[in-house]
Amino acid sequence: MSPNKILLEAKQLVVNYKNHRAIDGLDLSVPAGCVYALLGGNGAGKTSTINTFLGFNRPTGGNVFIDGESPDQNPAVVRAKLAYLPENVALYEYMSGLENLSFFCKLANIRISRQHAHDLLVNTGLQSDAHDRRVSTYSKGMRQKVGLAIASAKQAKVMLLDEPTSGLDPSAANDFAQRIRAAADLGMAVLMATHDLFNAKQVADRIGIMKAGRLVEEFDAHTVAHDELEHKYLAHARGLL
Amino acid sequence: MIIAIIHKELLAVLRDGRLLVLAFSVFAVLSGFFLASVAEHQQVQQEKQAVGATAKEQWDTQGVKNPHAAAHFGIYVFKPDSPLASVDPGLRQYTGQTLWLEPHKRNGVRFSPAADQGLAGRFGQASAGFVLVALLPLLVIALAFNAVTQEREQGTLRMLHSLGVSATKLLLGKFVGLLLAFMVVLLPATAVAIIILYQNFDLAGDDILRLLALSGTFFMYYAVFAALAMSTSIHFKSSRLALFTLLAFWSGSVLIAPRLGAAAAEMMVPIPSATAFWAGIKKDIQQGLDNDGDHQAREALFKVQVLKQYGVTRVEDLPVGYAALNRNFNDGYSERVHALHFDRLRDAFERQGRFIHIASLLGPSIAMRSVSMTLSGMDLAHQRHFEDAAENYRHYFIGLTDDWDRERSHGTKRGALGHDSDWGSVKAFTYASPSVGFALHHALADLLVLLAWLVAALMWLLFSAKRLKP
Repeated sequence: MSPNKILLEAKQLVVNYKNHRAIDGLDLSVPAGCVYALLGGNGAGKTSTINTFLGFNRPTGGNVFIDGESPDQNPAVVRAKLAYLPENVALYEYMSGLENLSFFCKLANIRISRQHAHDLLVNTGLQSDAHDRRVSTYSKGMRQKVGLAIASAKQAKVMLLDEPTSGLDPSAANDFAQRIRAAADLGMAVLMATHDLFNAKQVADRIGIMKAGRLVEEFDAHTVAHDELEHKYLAHARGLL
Repeated sequence: MIIAIIHKELLAVLRDGRLLVLAFSVFAVLSGFFLASVAEHQQVQQEKQAVGATAKEQWDTQGVKNPHAAAHFGIYVFKPDSPLASVDPGLRQYTGQTLWLEPHKRNGVRFSPAADQGLAGRFGQASAGFVLVALLPLLVIALAFNAVTQEREQGTLRMLHSLGVSATKLLLGKFVGLLLAFMVVLLPATAVAIIILYQNFDLAGDDILRLLALSGTFFMYYAVFAALAMSTSIHFKSSRLALFTLLAFWSGSVLIAPRLGAAAAEMMVPIPSATAFWAGIKKDIQQGLDNDGDHQAREALFKVQVLKQYGVTRVEDLPVGYAALNRNFNDGYSERVHALHFDRLRDAFERQGRFIHIASLLGPSIAMRSVSMTLSGMDLAHQRHFEDAAENYRHYFIGLTDDWDRERSHGTKRGALGHDSDWGSVKAFTYASPSVGFALHHALADLLVLLAWLVAALMWLLFSAKRLKP
């Protein structure tokens, strides 16, 4: 896959919830192999952006595209290309990690053998003795790993992450960041909504700051200094900019 | 995809400890009621057989007497209940068990168990049928009320949507999975019920067909509740609200609709009191129907016709007993009047039944209760079939005794006598229950109501699928 191919794109996107404008003219593009971190306070429009790419929100104006397809026009095609990890990866508590993975793969029309499923879970760092345990005994980090395994099984081109490291301990967050980075290095486009500046700086290629539904700043994550990023983020959050 | 969802739903039920408790409770309640019903059924049958044998023996050994006097001894006949009465005893508590057949008068059934019940009996009859119609929908609701709300509350619905699972396929899989899970929960109790039925009754082919039809209808009934519960679960954001709404629907269908329907039916089609009913028959016999003339006028006309038929001028000169002839004539008229009034009364009961169906708008339980009673052979239609057969038998044995009386008498002399050999030659009453086709014919309206509910519930489920949002 061409590393410059735009896989995630929002053009003049507007989303209204009744009388409230959640996204206001958003232009955003994420090419293959890129991790894009969307920063912003609560209500800035990060999750609304993710939901629109997922097809859960219908754009009031403008368009969104995933690998050139509109989620509104071709939801099945779009969803086959993307993986989604919410803040709390929702799995079925009465099923094991392995069973959850197999079930979600079947729903996505992916046939995997039991051994393949084990391998996918091992690759995400989930220890083998946990594979057959019920998910109700899993930590948040372990659930994230099952979510990553589902994304990996789908061979998704795009990954949408909503506050993925919220509530993870530093070690688990670091581990997760490395796995996201590795997925992007294989050509996946990743859009990550987060409050975690450290995590954004660590894993992302580009960082955008959202405020009141607009993208107000964009940075190259490799060149922006952490202090500068923090200063800008806080200034926007406090309304100083 | 659908098979994966069905499998997941089954797994959810089997691994949920609360549902095991529910399954055990259903097993205990259903088996308990069923065993009690079987015991009652067998006791009633044994009592009927014992009383029937004694009555027949007394009839056969009346000794030498006038045939008409022997007929006045009367014969008791009993309605044999189908083995399915153990599942649903239907109207047995109210329609009575015994019919006493005697000359001149057509009796109603008597000795209903309800009349012997204590105060507790007035608070309703508990039976396996009651559990199946009234309580098991609660189990369906318990399984389905959070089918979608729970997925929404736990966030799995977003995961499923993000995978591109179509809402229709998701709901279809959940619906089928739920029904299968429900059957798994019911399986132990059903297995016990079938074993008990086979061990205690000689099931005929017709009984098995009725059982299959009944099972299919109950499946339809539970599918209605399952589809409605799932649709409700889609429209409400909270499981609790969905549950309260479904419980309100259940009470409307099971508790309120039958009472409203009965009140409406009584208002629209009043039924005469027993006193008025019998007084009406007596009046019509005395005064005659339409232009038939009163009792005396009819007898006078008949006498003229008999004298002419036999070519004599006085009844004393008749070669046969006139009293028997005259009685035969009067009984014939009485039977006509009785048939008219009985048919009118039973038609009124049937019209009431149709009015009760108006309340089916509130829920499918009235229709299901009615189908259950009909397929179990314990409804008004089967009762009417039995009473008609008994009435035919009454005509047979009264006719036989009247023949003996007439042929063994002359003119106005009443010297006719019968012996034990005569009484013993009267064939015993044998009753063949109608076939499953008869039951299905009489249950057709209720089956259509159930079908309408099922179609409406499934259409609502499909409509709801379009509104399903994570």
